[in-house]
Formats: sequence, structure tokens, C-alpha cells
Amino acid sequence: MSNSTIKESRKHFSRMQRQENLVGYAFITPALIAFLVFLAFPFFASIALSFTKWNFLSGWSKLQWVGLDNFAKILQQFAKKRRFYDALINTFVYAVTTVPTSIAIALVLAYMLNNKVYCKKALRMAFFIPYISSAVALSAVFKFMFRDDGVINSTLISLGIANPPDWFVNQSLNKIPIILLVIWTAIGYELVIYMSALQNVPASLYEAADIDGAGSAQKFWYVTLPLVSPTTFYLVIVRLIASFKIFSSINIMTLGSAAKTNTSLVVEIYAEAFGSYNFGFAAAESMVLFVIILLITLINFAGQKKWVHY
Amino acid sequence: MKKKERASALIRTVVLALISILFILPLVWMVLSSLKTTPEVFARPFHWLPNKFQWHNYPDVWSTGAEVNMLRSYYNSLYIVLFSIVGQLLIASLAAYAFAKINFKGKNIIFMLFLSSMMIPSQVTIIPRFILFRTIGLYNNLWAIILPAWFGATSIFMLRQFYIGLPSDLMEAAKIDGAGHLRIFAQIMLPLTKAALVSLIILAFISSWNEYLSPLIFLPSKKLFTVAQAIQSYMQDEFKQHNLTMAAATSAIVPVAILFIAGQKYFVEGIATSGVKG
Repeated sequence: MSNSTIKESRKHFSRMQRQENLVGYAFITPALIAFLVFLAFPFFASIALSFTKWNFLSGWSKLQWVGLDNFAKILQQFAKKRRFYDALINTFVYAVTTVPTSIAIALVLAYMLNNKVYCKKALRMAFFIPYISSAVALSAVFKFMFRDDGVINSTLISLGIANPPDWFVNQSLNKIPIILLVIWTAIGYELVIYMSALQNVPASLYEAADIDGAGSAQKFWYVTLPLVSPTTFYLVIVRLIASFKIFSSINIMTLGSAAKTNTSLVVEIYAEAFGSYNFGFAAAESMVLFVIILLITLINFAGQKKWVHY
Repeated sequence: MKKKERASALIRTVVLALISILFILPLVWMVLSSLKTTPEVFARPFHWLPNKFQWHNYPDVWSTGAEVNMLRSYYNSLYIVLFSIVGQLLIASLAAYAFAKINFKGKNIIFMLFLSSMMIPSQVTIIPRFILFRTIGLYNNLWAIILPAWFGATSIFMLRQFYIGLPSDLMEAAKIDGAGHLRIFAQIMLPLTKAALVSLIILAFISSWNEYLSPLIFLPSKKLFTVAQAIQSYMQDEFKQHNLTMAAATSAIVPVAILFIAGQKYFVEGIATSGVKG
């Protein structure tokens, strides 16, 4: 090949590459614009706002740079066990109570459903419907059921409990309706994921366990549980992230009650931002939420390497 | 042996059926309460069936006489869901095809950037989005909910995996015939991703239908209320007609549940694929 043809074909090649580049950019441009405008820009703006003291209603001119003051205030509230402390601790309580419980129940139900069962599809549907139902509608249902004069207390009275508690007033009980609601709705999703994971457990392993004389409980403990551990890990991560963002059920159930006895991180951010328009402080609080989610995601990356092999 | 197997299947079915009744009971309570009078909803001793079925509760919440009504809010919610899903999946399909099948400069960096955005919860960006929408006049507009949904990192990621799995031979053959990327994408590749798109539509529907925080912030005027906001507004109603709240809640849940029962096969696969990571 002569020198000039090599040059010629290189030119042709680079022209083709340039064209590939252009077409590629054209294809991702809509996604890139949406990403920059609705995610990247607001994210960095949120970081910037977290270093300001600014009430939205007072206009841009009143925006003040205050450095780390907001974060110092968060720490102060935390140390004095005030608002932010309650929000953070409550959020942790919701995560710790709902995540393991719902996952454990979902696994047992999925394991039973995966065996020979009549009306399998109808049963699966019954467990699934709460998950696809409007969260606000379900929160309204739970709020009315747990009211002082609601069906739960009526049932308790007819069972012979003379003084059933007022679920929403009692500080130590007011989380229970929300915890039950979250568990109830989360199970449907976890169940479907577990059922598809269980289908991938080779039947030969159960047969081998049968030959060794293992009972049903032993098979579950020694064969099923280790083999679905990657799925369990995945569900723990997904549910943890979801439960740190808990908002709608709490907001609906505390609607109309004078004292905010129940909060969460997002409820607190919402109240600061759109109740009192303290955008600077609320942005700082949202950064705490971001860091928590970031940590969970990093644990996910680290854990995947260790967990996702049998 | 056969007999024993059948017996244990029967026991399992009965146990699961009892538990499933417990799962459905709150929904049954909701439907029956929606057909009572409010004092009956909280009557003591409690009775399940209404003394007289109050069927008019449904026309009451659906008729367009009231400022907040289910018809209006259904329209708003469906409008948001429809345009969110169409926009998100179209944009995600284009991007996913490019990431999988086009060799352009910097594609890995942009892809990593998109992926890492999954770590940012929407609650973290909501304050600047509020300022943005106030500034550009999208506040109190359904498109304030729709437009941010158009970037879906999960959709892009899942569709990219799907496009990578599609054989490139098809593409090469079409290229020789002189087809450009746009034609290959629209006529050959996109139709092949139907299964993945159905899964993503289901996931997007659930999250969009359930959206509550951003409508609460961006849609203050009653005529733009979504279904979730309408239920909240019935709860806060000064006349405390909680039978109507339950009629609104039933209206929000039952049609969707029927839709999902009808398409059970698709949604179970759809949810399951979302959990199987590529």
C-alpha cells in the first residue's frame, strides 16, 4: 500500500469516527439536558445553598453566606436532642424495624409459595396488591383504622381489653401504625423478587438434601438461605434506601395533629423548606440525607464483591 | 407418597390463604367503609357491613361539582403518568442505544456520570427545583412533575444492558444496506426491546402514580391536585366526611389493582427483572 492510500484511508476513518461521535452525542443529548437541568444543576445548587442562611420569602438580596453554620446548628440540635435529633433517630427506628421484619416475612412466604400450593397466582396477588396501591390512600386507611374510635380499638375492646391505647397520642406507640403499614406494603415487592430468586435454586440441591434425610426446616436453613443471600443483600440495600426517604405515610398520619410527635428526615426537610422557607438550613439537612444514602450505596458496592457468589 | 404430598400442599395453601386474608382485610375495610355513613365507619361495636349501602358516596366524590373531585384528579394523575413514562422511555431508549451500540468519544465518562446520579435522592434536589420552576414559570403546572421524570438513570441502565445483549450482526447488515443509526434504532432495535420496555413501564407507573412529595410542593392549586392530593384534601375536609375519604381511597386503589390482576404475568416479570442485576 502506498503512503497516500494509507493517508486516504486514515482520513476516511477519522471522518467516520467524527460522524459516529456526532450521532452518539445526538442520541444522548436529550438525556444529558434532562440530567443537567433537573439533577446535576439542582444537586450542586443544593450544596451551595447548604452554606447559606436564606429565607426564600425574603428574596435573593437577603441571601447570606454563613459557611458551616447550618451544619453546626444541625450538630447542636442533635446534641440537645431537639428537632433534627428526633427526625434522625425516628428514621433509624423505622429502618431498623421495617427492613429486617418485612424481608424475613417475605422470604418465608416466598419459600412456601414456591412449593406445591393451590391457587398460587391468586395468593401471590393478595400479597402483592398493597405494594401497587397508592401509598397515600393506604396511609389514610391505616390512620382511620388506628384512630381512638377506629376498628382496631373496637376489636380490642370486644376481645376484652377494656382500655385500648390511643395509638397516635401515645409517644411510645405512635410509630406502630406506620411500621405496620411499611412492612405490609414492602412485602409484596420483596416476595416477587424472592420468588424469582428461588426459582434459580437448582432442584438437585434439594434432592441431595432429601437423600441426606434433611427435613423441611433444615433444607430452608442450609440450602435456601445461603443460596438466596445475594438477593437478601440486594433487598436490604433497596429497602434501607427507601426507608431513609420515608415521608408520605408519616405526613398523612400526623395530618391535623397539633403537635408533631412523629417526624423523619424528609418530613423535617419538608417542614423547614416549605413550612418555614428556611432554604439554607433545609438544604443542609438534605445533605445529611444524601451522605447517608451515599454510605449505604458504598456499602452495597463493597458488599457485592463479597456476597455475589455462592 | 402422592397422597402425603397433596395433603402438605393443602396445608400450605390453607396457611397462606389465612395470611393473605390478613393482608387484604384493611382493603376490605376500606371498600366497606366507603359505602357507610361517617358515624358508621367509627361505630362501636364495630360491624363490617353497612346498615344501608351508601352508593351515592361514589357519585359524590366523582361529580365535578366540588372543586376537588376524583374525575379531575384522575385526569391530572394520568396526564402526569402518561407523559412522564413516554418521555422517560423515549429519552432513555435513545441514550441506551448510544451507550450500547455507538462508539463515541467520552461515552464511558458520561455513562458513569449518569449511573452515579442514582445515589442522589430526589428529596435532595427538590429545593433548587422549586426555585427553578418558580423562575421559569413552571410552578403550579403539571409539567413541573413530568419534566424531571424524563431523566431515568435506572431505565437507561436496564435498557443499555438489553441493547448490549442484542446481536450487532443485525446492525452491521443494515449498515451495509446504507441505513443510519436512527433507522437502525427505530426500525430494528427499538421493537426488539418490547419486553424490557413493558417492565419499565410498570415500574415507572408505580412510582409515578405514588408520587406525593413533589405534587404537594409544586401543585398548590386545587384544580391541579393529583389523586394522592385529593385523598389528603378529603381527609382535611372541615366536615370530616371520612366515608368520602374512603371512597376516594377506593377509587384510587381498585382500578389500578384490577389492571394489575389482568396483567399479572407482565408485572411479575417486570418487577423480577428489576431485581436481577445485569
